[in-house]
Amino acid sequence: MIQLHNVSLAYQQDASALNNIDLKIGKGEFVFLTGPSGAGKTSLLRLLYGALAPNRGQVLIDGQNITRLSVSQIPLLRRSIGVVFQDFKLLQNRTVFENVAITLEVLGWGRADIGKKTMHILKQMGIESKYNLVTQRLSGGEQQRVALARALVNDPKILLADEPTGNLDDANKNQILNIFKEANIRGTTVVVATHDRRLIEQSYKRLVTLNKGEIVEQVEKETASDDQDL
Amino acid sequence: MNKWKKKQPATTKTFKRPTLAGDGFGGRAGFFLSRALTNIRQNVFVNVVTVGTITLALLIVSLFLLVFVNLESAAENWSERVQVTVYFDKDLTIQDQSTFREKISMLPGVSHVSYVTRDEAFKRFKNRLKGQETLLDGVRSEVLPTSFEIALKRSYRDTVSVENFVTVLKRIPGITEVQYGEEWVRRFNSFLNFMRLLGGLLGGFLVIAVIFIVSNTIKLTIYSRRDELEVMALVGATSFFIKAPFLLEGLIQGMVGAILSVVLLFGLYEGFLHNAGSFLTFNPVTSGLSFLPLEYVAGLLLAGALLGFIGSLTSLKRFISV
Repeated sequence: MIQLHNVSLAYQQDASALNNIDLKIGKGEFVFLTGPSGAGKTSLLRLLYGALAPNRGQVLIDGQNITRLSVSQIPLLRRSIGVVFQDFKLLQNRTVFENVAITLEVLGWGRADIGKKTMHILKQMGIESKYNLVTQRLSGGEQQRVALARALVNDPKILLADEPTGNLDDANKNQILNIFKEANIRGTTVVVATHDRRLIEQSYKRLVTLNKGEIVEQVEKETASDDQDL
Repeated sequence: MNKWKKKQPATTKTFKRPTLAGDGFGGRAGFFLSRALTNIRQNVFVNVVTVGTITLALLIVSLFLLVFVNLESAAENWSERVQVTVYFDKDLTIQDQSTFREKISMLPGVSHVSYVTRDEAFKRFKNRLKGQETLLDGVRSEVLPTSFEIALKRSYRDTVSVENFVTVLKRIPGITEVQYGEEWVRRFNSFLNFMRLLGGLLGGFLVIAVIFIVSNTIKLTIYSRRDELEVMALVGATSFFIKAPFLLEGLIQGMVGAILSVVLLFGLYEGFLHNAGSFLTFNPVTSGLSFLPLEYVAGLLLAGALLGFIGSLTSLKRFISV
């Protein structure tokens, strides 16, 4: 599903953000990316949804080399990828419903279908009662769930999340993690960048550790017994 | 099975956009319009500021246009005075009159020819000396010459054309004395040219300033909503999908601004017409002032719409990279 071959990225000439990254993530995998701040986790995610282009190497999504996509093809790639941002990137003066529905509007869905599908995903996230509130009135955990709903509402093939539990308490963290797992069970490939060790140890199947722009360790759990906590 | 059947080429996976119901500009025009109207409703303050700026900017331009159009029409009226007079020191017979009239009328640029008899000339002279008619006691009309007064078409009233006309006129046998107020024509035409040049320069500067102010205001409104542009791009909206509602919004803002400016201008014009008599030496109602012609009003509305549209288009370029 996701393949990176010999990928290097530098924001400035002498400061590389990623260096010779080789990584393969299969369809339906659940991968944690970890590492200290500045290790290159966010840069790697940004490469995957076409917000950045590498200086060297290839990034393949579903067999397509996205470094060769034209500017007009990038939006089409993004329609198959849901992204949850560290700062949520919600429209503060819009309602919860509008924030989630925007994904389906972009895809050209009809009004009635947008309504049904949006309310369905809000129900899954447990925030259906807040659908008419503007997002700036929500708590951090609720805002995170709106961001997740927006990313998942069109059943993307890939879900990318950057520090999704950064400012949340334990109860909220577990709820968010369970949403990721449910999406993964439905067949979505999930890549979560985090440095929350407790979250990782609690539930990882595959762990990729980055440091100074390089992959320093890859660990894979043989069994997936942790699915029981769903 | 036909083994010669053409083999289907292996399909390569591309991120091909699916065709959706109501896709394309026509199918989505309603959606974009409702989106634009929703945006306006949700950002009332920003929209009021933009429309206000466009209104004031266009009001300045249209006020300038109104003054310019009225000055032009005043100049047009004054230019009626540009006329060429051919004098004869004898009375012309009816036959001579019609021969001369025919020859003069055939010259290019002539709009009207009239014969002034000695009596008519004497009557005019008397009128001019109203109150001092006694000066003319003992003077008879025979001392005055007869003449042909030739009015010229609009495009033949500039200095060079008048001089050329007079040269051709003098070639007609029997015509010797021609007057056309050379100095007045020259002064009038140089005043007209100066006024047009000044108007063109001022108007040009004004239009540039207006474009600058409006495009910067729109840029600020779009800047205040850059998060929205970013989010739309991140969830896979095409550049056109993001831009279309903003462009429509700009178009609506421009049109509303233009309509308001025309309404305000009309209000100001009517107010001036009915109140200026008290502080001006002339009565504006009877002075022949007129409002902007319909084609100018239509032009202003179009300019407003274009201003909003192009202002949005250039501003969006800076914020949308996808």
